[in-house]
Amino acid sequence: MKRKNWAPGGGKKELRGKDEWVRISWDEALTLVANEIIRIQAKYGNKSIFVSGGSEIGRALTLFGGYVPSYGTTSGGSIHATKTTILGYTGYVNAMMSDRMDHRKTTLFVHWGLNSISSSGGNPTYNHLQNKKNGAKIIAIDPYYTDAAQVLADEWIPIRPNTDHAMVLGMAYTLITADDPKPNPLIDWDFLNRCTLGFDKDHMPTGADPKENFKDYVLGTYDGTPKTPEWASAICGIDAARIRSLALEIAKTKNVGLGMSSATARQQNSDSWTQMFYTFGAMSGHIGKPGSFTADGYYHQNFSGLRCLVDIVQPGSSGLPSVGANPVEEKAADVWTALPQVPGTRLCESWMWKAIADGKYQAVKGQWRDLNIQMIYHGGGAKLQTVDGMSDGIAAHRKVEFVVSQSQILTTNSKYADIVLPVTTPWERDGGMVIAGNREFGLIWGQQVTKPLFEAKDDLWIAAEIGKRLGVDATKIAPLSNAQLVYNQIVGSKVLKDDGKTTEPLVTISDNDVKSLAEAGVVVKPQAGRVALAKFQELGFYQVPRKPGDNFEVVALKAFREDPVKNPLPNKSGKLDIHSKTLADIIESRGWSTIKPIPAYNPAQEGYEATFKDFKAKVKGEYPLQLYTIHYYRRSHSVFDNILTLRRAFPHEFFMNPIDAQARGIQHGDIVLIRSRHGKTIRPVSLTERILPGVVTLPHGAWVEMDEASGIDKAGADNIINGTVPTGQGTSGWNTCNVQVEKYTGSIELKPDYQWPQRIPIKEA
Amino acid sequence: MNVREWALITFTILAQMSVGSFIVLGIVHYFVGKKAGEQQADELSDRALLAIGPVLALGMAASLLHLGNPLNAYKAVTNLGTSWLSREIFFGVLFAVAGAAFAVMQWKKIATFQVRNVIAMVAAGIGIALVYSMSMVYMMPTRPGWNLITTPVSFFATTLLLGVLAMGAAFVANYWYVQSKNPGCASEQCVLLRDSLRWIAISSIVLLGFQFVVLPLSIALMAASGATESAAMFVGEYGALFALRLVLVFLGAGVLGIFVYREAQSAGHERMMSVLAYGAFAFVLVGEIVGRFLFYATATHFGLQ
Amino acid sequence: MAKQLGFHINSSVCANCKACQVACQDKNNLPAAIRWRRVVLYGGGGWVEKDGRWMPNGVFSYSVSFACMHCENPLCVQACPTGALMKRADGVVLINQDQCVGCRYCEWACPYGAPQFNEAKGVMTKCNFCEDLLAQGQNPACVDACPMRAIEYGDIAELRAKYGTLAEVEPLPSASITLPHAVVTPHRNAQASGTGTGKIMNLPEEL
Repeated sequence: MKRKNWAPGGGKKELRGKDEWVRISWDEALTLVANEIIRIQAKYGNKSIFVSGGSEIGRALTLFGGYVPSYGTTSGGSIHATKTTILGYTGYVNAMMSDRMDHRKTTLFVHWGLNSISSSGGNPTYNHLQNKKNGAKIIAIDPYYTDAAQVLADEWIPIRPNTDHAMVLGMAYTLITADDPKPNPLIDWDFLNRCTLGFDKDHMPTGADPKENFKDYVLGTYDGTPKTPEWASAICGIDAARIRSLALEIAKTKNVGLGMSSATARQQNSDSWTQMFYTFGAMSGHIGKPGSFTADGYYHQNFSGLRCLVDIVQPGSSGLPSVGANPVEEKAADVWTALPQVPGTRLCESWMWKAIADGKYQAVKGQWRDLNIQMIYHGGGAKLQTVDGMSDGIAAHRKVEFVVSQSQILTTNSKYADIVLPVTTPWERDGGMVIAGNREFGLIWGQQVTKPLFEAKDDLWIAAEIGKRLGVDATKIAPLSNAQLVYNQIVGSKVLKDDGKTTEPLVTISDNDVKSLAEAGVVVKPQAGRVALAKFQELGFYQVPRKPGDNFEVVALKAFREDPVKNPLPNKSGKLDIHSKTLADIIESRGWSTIKPIPAYNPAQEGYEATFKDFKAKVKGEYPLQLYTIHYYRRSHSVFDNILTLRRAFPHEFFMNPIDAQARGIQHGDIVLIRSRHGKTIRPVSLTERILPGVVTLPHGAWVEMDEASGIDKAGADNIINGTVPTGQGTSGWNTCNVQVEKYTGSIELKPDYQWPQRIPIKEA
Repeated sequence: MNVREWALITFTILAQMSVGSFIVLGIVHYFVGKKAGEQQADELSDRALLAIGPVLALGMAASLLHLGNPLNAYKAVTNLGTSWLSREIFFGVLFAVAGAAFAVMQWKKIATFQVRNVIAMVAAGIGIALVYSMSMVYMMPTRPGWNLITTPVSFFATTLLLGVLAMGAAFVANYWYVQSKNPGCASEQCVLLRDSLRWIAISSIVLLGFQFVVLPLSIALMAASGATESAAMFVGEYGALFALRLVLVFLGAGVLGIFVYREAQSAGHERMMSVLAYGAFAFVLVGEIVGRFLFYATATHFGLQ
Repeated sequence: MAKQLGFHINSSVCANCKACQVACQDKNNLPAAIRWRRVVLYGGGGWVEKDGRWMPNGVFSYSVSFACMHCENPLCVQACPTGALMKRADGVVLINQDQCVGCRYCEWACPYGAPQFNEAKGVMTKCNFCEDLLAQGQNPACVDACPMRAIEYGDIAELRAKYGTLAEVEPLPSASITLPHAVVTPHRNAQASGTGTGKIMNLPEEL
């Protein structure tokens, strides 16, 4: 489908996002897209083509000379570089989490910002109910009394967003000052001394200034500011007495699970927070012991972590060969460990829209380079919707000469595009593997349930067809069929045997299977495995039965604790870096902000402190409230926002404490105007005691609907409110924003979302 | 407020006015007949009687507008065993039939005076059953603002008040009609009219007094029986409308009633008396419509909705 | 009496996700406006200020999934003028839309908001216990959709034997009105019907 007023070269670019649509044939669409790529590449070069991610179009464009990609912290926030550096495990890999059967021994769980029920796949809340049955206590530290807290929490400790670090510093101070090896041992000195670097002046990494140790920072030996619970309390808002008692409770309890969600790291200037969290876990003695763990990132593998160490079910590879490196990206380095960062043409997500709109980007610290992006290709995903700074994004989309988007529905990416190519879901083709379960449920076989709806086509087919029209070798783009890719994954899947050590193939492939698949053009070899192919197909998944005491139980980092020399961590030092010059250097090299090698507290650009005009005198500023963005049942990120029953169930309301509302003359259900430094939106407000006064939340992911006349978004899109404020490793700080809220008195009539028309660009005649 | 509720307001007001008119007419007819003979009584009331039918028909037609599926309306009398709504419709239809039968017989002078009298009393009885059923429709534990003794009491008060004043207005209209057609007959009718209006005025003032006891009582009962929200609406959100309703009924039934009474005491003030009678009816009708509007608007639901 | 069907609602683990509500709409092809099963959020408490910091003071919330309770004393059935509403031998309260006149009187009568009006069709609709699925030996859609396994159905006598007889927590109405065929396992912070200190926390447009 083509934007009505689009023409090669742009054609009324300002109408992007509000133009009408014209249905065109695939051949016309593919030819238009390929011709524009050729024209733009010839005129501006490959560095003018930006691919936001998703699907397979990158394969075609790599063969055509390359394109500008992006990188971002997305869901993992600032965990990425920090964890990779200080522990050696990448952000999304939950290697610090013991197996869920081990949690049955845990008697105290302390959760920083964890809403397991609405922010995780699988059913971690159910898992926690089993732990509670065993008598475990759960403490939720969160600005919001979450749905998970409603079900699980024995205690809720409300905390201001972006201040977890200060709180834990106050807890560390408590342990350091109250610890006495004989009568009152609170600190796990044995672990600190053997397995970590930088806690005190006697255990510093080579070459580091002994004065720069963590303990003296906490005590304020050199900076004159002891990080007492009272100091912490003034920042995080938790009673100092509770900070102190919680620290002691954690240190004195044998089996404790300390968990931080990535939400606490999707914050500006939070690069040291993950390090702080692990430092506290180390000093309180809760790393690498049965029944105890310290773990970040409650992701899809919830409470059954350890993907990288031992997955009980291990999916196979699709076998799609690489087309080689992207020539524009000068070196495909791992963005999280690259030091100094290799200069390359790669846009930091929390700056990319501004970079495109302004024509400039920072390659490494201080190196600002010119940039002339003239084409945006959304291979899929929802970058325009889900990356911070959407107003800059819309400006970027209206600046370039050409925007293409592939999607199933009129996503925001597609709404602001010139040409939209409809793609299939896995359920319209030969299926697909969802490799995102927990470690015992590694694989879901999503199977075809319908022929492609309307004229939708596969990603690979689109990439190959565009490749053909670009004159590159299309057989390299799609050398294997979709079905072959799926069966490669199935056939290659492995499952641990009951001994917990050796593996066997997951699926048995019989001679008959080989024959019948050959008829469908799929090549597989016979093999003996755990389940018959037909059975696996019928079930659609494979789940390993579990019981306490089985051989699959793993205690995270146990071997490391036992012998850190023999079993070092996979980072540079082999130990947990409480002092990491590398991390400080990486952050420095990005050019956005700086940190200390030890986990010192850094206030967020738009955190609690920034709500004040004068923090010391406690005079509030123009944006006195802290806003953060919760995950919301209505959708997964931005997907499903077109579904009326979900809109009906979840009205995308704005949450505010009645105390803050009263001060503003706002009633439950009123339409309120939410203003930040970056944008404005209106929403019905829900007044709830479940949120800490001074904090408000706007759920994540609503499809933007700009009222162009007033510049107000009617839908409550979080990224209209969240701005382009890159910090540290280029973190997207969705949970750091200052806002002001007032009763909306303007002329826009805001109907409940479920009464809005759906985004259906063209109705079937 | 939507079409559905306006339909209910129209239906209940008109149906109650019909029943009230029928009863009032019967009483007046009885006493006038005793005093001045059957022929004079018929002359006074027959035309008014014929006006009742269309009013009831209009009300029942309006009631159809509150149905989502009016084609099934005929099925609505099939659950007489438990449904007050079924009973309401049943008695409504029955009242229409009995009333119409009486009207035709009265008009055409079919059967004897006594037979017609029996039929009229049966019809009046059905009318009372109709108003009672109508009120019982609203007596539900889930509607605490309605589920009070004051609902049937006020429905009957409305029935009589509207009946009295509607008939007052009808008699006046009839008088001027008679005078234009047959001035010779008018002097006798004029006396009867003044007599009737005096009684109508007295009745309306008594009923007004009754209303003024029932209305505050109903709000007090609401407040005392779990319908505090409804009670609050009468003094809060809808306070002004409630005051308007009181003022209108007070002006119509009370103040104008007194003037009607005064003007009706001696001959020669027919014109003024007529204006006052029309005015009283109009004021009370509007007042009662506002009252019924409030009845629906202030209803709250007990439990989840 | 024959087996009487009812629901068990485990409010103590209800996570407010509304999967039951949406699954019901999906299975029964209901327009967005009509929800035979809904989830209500109830909560309250307050906050106290101390040195510029706010401390929660008994803040609580919990969720209750509710639908037609297939009551023993179904006021809707009694109110219906056409007999379109009926209580089946197995206790399921059903509506025959061919008989419905659309007077919405049952809507007034029901304290659970179970009968809901379909504007397009002009007739009432309500939970039918997924009678078609039951007939095939399957579970009602809401039961299977719940990730917390918080909805169960079966013979109400058996459910009561297993979970007790409580059928009223805020914001559900007193069970004495209609004698619902439902059992509720209350949340740890649940308050008794009619004595709650909290409020329904949903937006009106949401519920």
